[in-house]
Amino acid sequence: MPTPVEDPNKAAFLARVRGALGRSTPITVTPDHPTLKTTLPRHEEKIRTTQARTEARRPQNIARLETIATAAAWNVHRAADAEEAANAVVGIAANIRAKNIVRTAEDLFKRVDIDASLRKHGVSPTVLASGRSRRKSDLKAIAFKADLGVSGVEYAIAETGSCAVFQRKGIARIATLAPPVLALIVQESQVLETLDDFFAIVRFQFLTNRTRLANYYNFISGPSRTADIEQTLTIGVHGPGEVHMIIVADA
Amino acid sequence: MPEVKTSRFKSESVKALANENIQRALGAPFAHFVDGRKSAIEADYTEESWDSMRDRAAATKAHTIERLDYYLDLLDKNVRRNGGHVHFADDAAHANQIVLDIARQHDVKTVIKSKSMVSEEMGINDVLEKNGIKPVETDLGEYIIQLAHETPFHLIAPAVHKTKGQVSELFEKFLDSAPTEDIEKLCLIARDVLRDSFAKADMGISGANFIVAETGTVVLVTNEGNGRMTTSVPRVHVAISGMEKLLPSIEDVGLFLRLLARSATGQRITSYNSFISGPRASGDEDGPEEFHLILVDNGRLNLLKDETLRESLGCIRCGACLNHCPVYRKVGGHAYGWVYPGPIGAIVSPMLTGLKQGKELPYASTLCGSCRDVCPVKIDLPKLLLDLRHKIASGGAGSMPERLGIRQWHNTMKTRKKLEGSARLGRLLQGPIARRGFIKRLPLPVVSGWTKSRDFPALPPRSFAEIWRDELSGGDRS
Repeated sequence: MPTPVEDPNKAAFLARVRGALGRSTPITVTPDHPTLKTTLPRHEEKIRTTQARTEARRPQNIARLETIATAAAWNVHRAADAEEAANAVVGIAANIRAKNIVRTAEDLFKRVDIDASLRKHGVSPTVLASGRSRRKSDLKAIAFKADLGVSGVEYAIAETGSCAVFQRKGIARIATLAPPVLALIVQESQVLETLDDFFAIVRFQFLTNRTRLANYYNFISGPSRTADIEQTLTIGVHGPGEVHMIIVADA
Repeated sequence: MPEVKTSRFKSESVKALANENIQRALGAPFAHFVDGRKSAIEADYTEESWDSMRDRAAATKAHTIERLDYYLDLLDKNVRRNGGHVHFADDAAHANQIVLDIARQHDVKTVIKSKSMVSEEMGINDVLEKNGIKPVETDLGEYIIQLAHETPFHLIAPAVHKTKGQVSELFEKFLDSAPTEDIEKLCLIARDVLRDSFAKADMGISGANFIVAETGTVVLVTNEGNGRMTTSVPRVHVAISGMEKLLPSIEDVGLFLRLLARSATGQRITSYNSFISGPRASGDEDGPEEFHLILVDNGRLNLLKDETLRESLGCIRCGACLNHCPVYRKVGGHAYGWVYPGPIGAIVSPMLTGLKQGKELPYASTLCGSCRDVCPVKIDLPKLLLDLRHKIASGGAGSMPERLGIRQWHNTMKTRKKLEGSARLGRLLQGPIARRGFIKRLPLPVVSGWTKSRDFPALPPRSFAEIWRDELSGGDRS
């Protein structure tokens, strides 16, 4: 993708900002801000410590994720293995009598074979990804008709009960957004302790290989909600109104 | 730009005080905001103390704003490296023109919008409509006030002054729906209408809660999921933001998400946070083909130039200062006459639209300090309000009687003789109206308002200087 050109107004705009701040020349060295000035080796060290701590506290983090997510109106399911996780999806689909199910195209579904489990119950999920038989422009219409969306996640964050979903090939944004009921499958090894752990990892990815970092990612931290009419909480406005988090043990 | 009515604060306040719906809305719903924030903070969700988080946030904002030119440059380079376009807009008209140009280039017929206060400054909806483009607000509260042709009543709850009955009437009139008092049903009516708009829209316009300079990332926070829809479904995404919303690094974001959610709605985290660094990449399945970021000045330089008022640019628009302000809680958001109400609005609105016109606003405060105490980025709002009052008084924008009074005072205090002379005159004049050491009503045109709810202490029969001279100094003076 070619880099878009610089706005011709930029130089004058920045000069005015600089003038307002009482300076006449631009700052050329990286300012001394704690989160900006770390060197890559130091950041690597930070990531190693974070990973070690995350592993050491995994059971506590998962328990905390479950508590906090439940408080934020997630339906949390624990699955001991892939089969149980797939069965949880079948249970959700049966409960809402889902006819149109969409899922993302992730390797996760090779392990958690929801296609086979759902087919046994007479429904066949649509894989919401472009390919030989489907164009990218078709995905929107399919997703808007679906009554259940199923996807994996990149990370889950215990502190806030959030799932972080990244846009990638095979993972359409609309899969986790348009269907009124959403089921996200979290693998235990994906659970992080805090928001700061997540952002440290993202920044590490940026510093080491920025082209691999998605241009769009998203925290889903519960059902869609509003209190815009008389401050009365109502669930399911634009995003999903019912959200399920299926935490599956690692293989 | 929407009409600036900041000069009508007093008269609009009187109307708001007499408006039953507004008074009802300012009661229970706001107690909900206040209690929600308090319990969220007390629940101790994090290891770090609330106060320490606020200190770090204030320091981060001050650091960034003092180096804003550097971070804007860094941001511009990084958004463009990610494949997005960056525009620098001097004022509202300039920003509107940029949006129109992008819309024309992409043959845009309909636009969906998620909440953006800067777009309210620009009056973008009117501009789009005049140019044959249909804008649809998608935040439920914004959608309601768009139907009602009103401005936001609150930073995060724009339609909090509307009753469910009024919402039902609006939906009946514009959407042809059956009347209902069931809030859930009202939400579903809006959901269905808006889903159709989402599916069809050519362009999405969003605001930005935070913008990360190092990674070139716009952070968008919504509870309804409309922010995700707006930035994911249409072909083009345009994010519009004030130029001050920058943070240096993505590692600063966690702190601000914690502070914002707790301060605004008492949540641990807002339901949806989107991190947008550019358009869809070639392998991606969906998302907009083009991404534009418009950074708007529109008077912010006036704040940036002023070393005291600059602090107000750290505002994260959580609305906590409104919810805790005894003045806002009586008069509501519309009395402030422009986009930003409450204590922060009383600082920002006059500086963005003209101090002379908005000179009533800095006085719309009791200086009780609640706003400062709850501000997640520790903006010293009372100090800034006093500074603005100083600017108004010394800049000749104060009232004529006030200036005459001060001049007279200045004159009287010059010599002892004049002071004692006017004290004698005062005692003579107060004779008929002073009772038991107090004046209940001052029968003078300008100052009579002062005694409406207060008693004015009368001058004592003899001054301290006189008592000293006659009785206490003894023979020392001889």
